[in-house]
Amino acid sequence: MIRFKAARKRFADGTVAVDDLTLEIPAGQFCVFLGASGAGKSSVLKLVNGMVQPTSGRVEFDGIEVVPRTYREIRPRIAMVHQQFNLVLRSTILRNVLAGALPGTSTTAAMLSLFPAELQQKACRLLERVGLSEKHLYRRAAHLSGGQQQRVAIARAFILDPTLVLADEPVASLDPEISRGILQLLRDASRESGTTVMCSLHQPDLAREFADRIVGLARGKVIFDGLPDQLDEEMIGRIYAGARAARETAEDDGPVALGALTASEAV
Amino acid sequence: MNNDTTTPKPAAEWQLRSVYSTRLFALLAVGAVLLAISAHRSEVDKGLADSGRAIVAVVRGKPESSRVARGWLRFLSQAFPLVIASYEPIENPEEFNPDTLPAFAYRDTKYPIKDTMGDVVRYVDAVVKPIGYLTYVGGLLVQTIEIAIWGTILSVLISIPLAYFGAAGYTPNKFSYNVARAICNMNRAIPELIAALVFAVAYGQGAWAGILALGVHTSGFLGKFFADDIENAAKGPQEALASTGANKLKVLRYAVLPQVMPQFLAYGQYILERNVRSATVLGIVGAGGIGVELNERWKQFDYGHVSTILLAIFITVFILEQIAQRVRARLIGE
Repeated sequence: MIRFKAARKRFADGTVAVDDLTLEIPAGQFCVFLGASGAGKSSVLKLVNGMVQPTSGRVEFDGIEVVPRTYREIRPRIAMVHQQFNLVLRSTILRNVLAGALPGTSTTAAMLSLFPAELQQKACRLLERVGLSEKHLYRRAAHLSGGQQQRVAIARAFILDPTLVLADEPVASLDPEISRGILQLLRDASRESGTTVMCSLHQPDLAREFADRIVGLARGKVIFDGLPDQLDEEMIGRIYAGARAARETAEDDGPVALGALTASEAV
Repeated sequence: MNNDTTTPKPAAEWQLRSVYSTRLFALLAVGAVLLAISAHRSEVDKGLADSGRAIVAVVRGKPESSRVARGWLRFLSQAFPLVIASYEPIENPEEFNPDTLPAFAYRDTKYPIKDTMGDVVRYVDAVVKPIGYLTYVGGLLVQTIEIAIWGTILSVLISIPLAYFGAAGYTPNKFSYNVARAICNMNRAIPELIAALVFAVAYGQGAWAGILALGVHTSGFLGKFFADDIENAAKGPQEALASTGANKLKVLRYAVLPQVMPQFLAYGQYILERNVRSATVLGIVGAGGIGVELNERWKQFDYGHVSTILLAIFITVFILEQIAQRVRARLIGE
């Protein structure tokens, strides 16, 4: 269970990324945050594991307040999947997955890369689950396609049996067909293990297809919160209208903004 | 889209900048003047003029007329042939026993001894080892390489903590960062030759003083390069691991080290190669190895021996480079 209480994030440059957010996400839900670039999706996600600290308000994870003092307790239970996959490209696939288990490994063992056999077997099972095979184990991550890299990243996310997965634009760098496969995998894997997922997306069609619940964000504010069926064209228009205005005032950040643009025009 | 109050200019009217600005020309002019002043102060003008005169003198077939050409001739005429043999005078010919000669060695009752001008001054009765000097130089070179390897090991050991504390994002605080960076700068700033002299005061002349000098001096480079690389490594993977709660050391080991390893190996290889060259020079201040011999021979104007040593050093550096490249390719593996 994740709880935001009047959480607000204002960056040093004055941008308000998250504005007075009050929200509850029950355990096991696949909750999609929909919005264009700059709407604050990423900040909302990062508030939960403390990668972004709230300027005011409160964020709770399973009843524990997210503050620097509790990071050590919270973070190993929260996994993250990133837009740019963030694998270590020069390391092997297996090593990348095992790196997800570092908080549960002693520093000495980690320095010597001595991972317990059960952990390695679990990594293998997860790689099998995400659709990779034995021949991939000792290949470098750099040799995989984008979709395969994201699959490895999902395996890495699940290795510590997280209670929550934060997926920050997991498919923004992938083409639509592969995007579906990745979201399918993420949803099924979380269903099997009862894991909560907070996933940010900018494509309304993908959100409607995979979400249990959609939270529409514009300029850091929640302007929609409901079931996928309730998200109508007019609401989508409003979510992106706010974003379009924001985009003209704020600096764009390349590929994400471009993706958001195509998505909003597709509507 | 168009909320702008001013109408945008058409592309045809956009201002393009010249590649060569007035400022660039001004800077070049100032640079040229400064270099011209400096050239005189550093005797660049005199050196170039002397070289020109030497070339003219050689071309006209009168090299004796130029001081520079005379100097070159003196060195080159004695540098070749290379001296690769060694000899030991026989003090008591009556007691000489041919059966105790080492392999390939022979007795020469009229072995010529030359002076610094290359003229034979006298003949001695001696045991001659045909490649005796070459093997002697080889032995000294091995000793030099050993000093260089130990210097590099020491350098890496010192630079690892310097790199950790000198990398923003891993160092505990601003103070430790500044201290680590300052140590790097200080180590780099002290020339190894001076460092060797200082260490020789404490430990006495010999290999250990040389090893310390090399290790301390080059750790300034390695520490800085390692730290800079850690700072510049891609942030994404580091964020990914840090977000799971992995501590800094683990993030460094799993997200940074694999990225920077090829660079680290390249630096280590360069430092080793550089240490081999430096170790030869360090011998001149008595820090062991081939430099001691080079210095002695140079002082005695034995240019034939000197050129043997120089050639041996060149071949050694060349071979080391080949080995290092192969090792690196194996370790990085693509």
